[in-house]
Amino acid sequence: MFFSIDPSGDAPIYEQIVRQVKLAVADGVLVGGQMVPSVRQLAAELAINPNTIARAYTELQNDLVLEPLRGRGMIVRRDAIARCTKARNSLVADGVRRALADAISGGMTADELRDLFETELKKQTPAPE
Amino acid sequence: MTSPVIRLENVSKRYGHTQALDRVSLEVPDGVVFALLGENGAGKTTMIRILTGFVEPDSGSASVLGHDASTDSMLIRQSVGYVSDAPALYDWMKAEEIGWFTSAFYDEGFSMRYLELLAAFDIRTGVKLKDMSKGQRAKVALALATSHDPRLLILDEPTSGLDPMVRRQFLESMVDRAALGRTVLLSSHQISEVERVADWVAIVHKGKLRVCEPLDSLRSSTSIVTLTMDDSSAVVALPGGEVISEIQNGRQMRWVVKNLPDDWQSVWGENSGATNISSVPATLEEIFVAVCDDRARAAQSVGVRG
Repeated sequence: MFFSIDPSGDAPIYEQIVRQVKLAVADGVLVGGQMVPSVRQLAAELAINPNTIARAYTELQNDLVLEPLRGRGMIVRRDAIARCTKARNSLVADGVRRALADAISGGMTADELRDLFETELKKQTPAPE
Repeated sequence: MTSPVIRLENVSKRYGHTQALDRVSLEVPDGVVFALLGENGAGKTTMIRILTGFVEPDSGSASVLGHDASTDSMLIRQSVGYVSDAPALYDWMKAEEIGWFTSAFYDEGFSMRYLELLAAFDIRTGVKLKDMSKGQRAKVALALATSHDPRLLILDEPTSGLDPMVRRQFLESMVDRAALGRTVLLSSHQISEVERVADWVAIVHKGKLRVCEPLDSLRSSTSIVTLTMDDSSAVVALPGGEVISEIQNGRQMRWVVKNLPDDWQSVWGENSGATNISSVPATLEEIFVAVCDDRARAAQSVGVRG
């Protein structure tokens, strides 16, 4: 998988890695049983401090997304996809919540928001044949 | 607990009328990438020169890897690696010759590792240093500084003026040192690079140490607070916590604040005239500018704490 890290982004780098691994599992880019690069490899590849990578991996282990495989390294757990799909949905929910908060504090009405939502939804989902 | 790799205690150094370092105390823990930020002339290079024993402090003491910097500087220079922004190399030598020459000061494994690094850095042998590009010479200097696998690597603005590919190679090298559990002291102006690789950050401003803490905790404890006032000549209370800088732009106020309290919004009540109050995490660049911008801080002295 490819990462896209923004070192000066709002979220700390380890969180960006955690999030992107979860999204990759949810999207099927990473599948159960697949190995992830070692801390050192990924650190070199992304030019990111290895302690940061290690912290992301520890968190992914605690979140039951990765597990160590004896003598091999770290692999994606076979039961991770359900958790990661849930994680992705809650990220989407966070995004919607933030956008709503912005819109409401900016003075948009509920009806304007509903219209906007329907229009965008129509635009982004293919129309039934 | 391992002892710190670098320790400065109350170090001061004056050049004529310039106070290059003013009672600086800091400790660099073992196995971290420690970034030293500061404007040109802030005192970073003076600090590094004191650590490597090239300059004696006027007062205070410095030690590196447990050796005193003023009495044991030979021991220190032998056990650290050092790359400056303009490495002094013998121009008339070829890369392999300067490696052979330098290997005499170090252990037997030096030559082997040096040649491996040259290959990894894509440096051709048989070319004299004076015929190399600036980037290639910097890579030779880096290879020379790391081939004895030093416990501490000191980089003093090593990549200023170098292209992105060479900078990337330096970053990878630092990451690799850290992965081996070695310590790196990096003085740099490239804030985005520091954000990628640093565990700890110190900011030096006019000879004084203003910030010294893990990058994580620095960023998570520093916020940018903005609000809009009802009138541009109105005055609002300062936010709680430690205000580092204050900037006004028309009706908008913007503060960089450390340790913002949880109930920070309560400072501005219903009738304060403040609206659109928000707070976001600060980037390292914003923290750096706030710490070093004397104009933005001058405003603070006239502010009234609410």
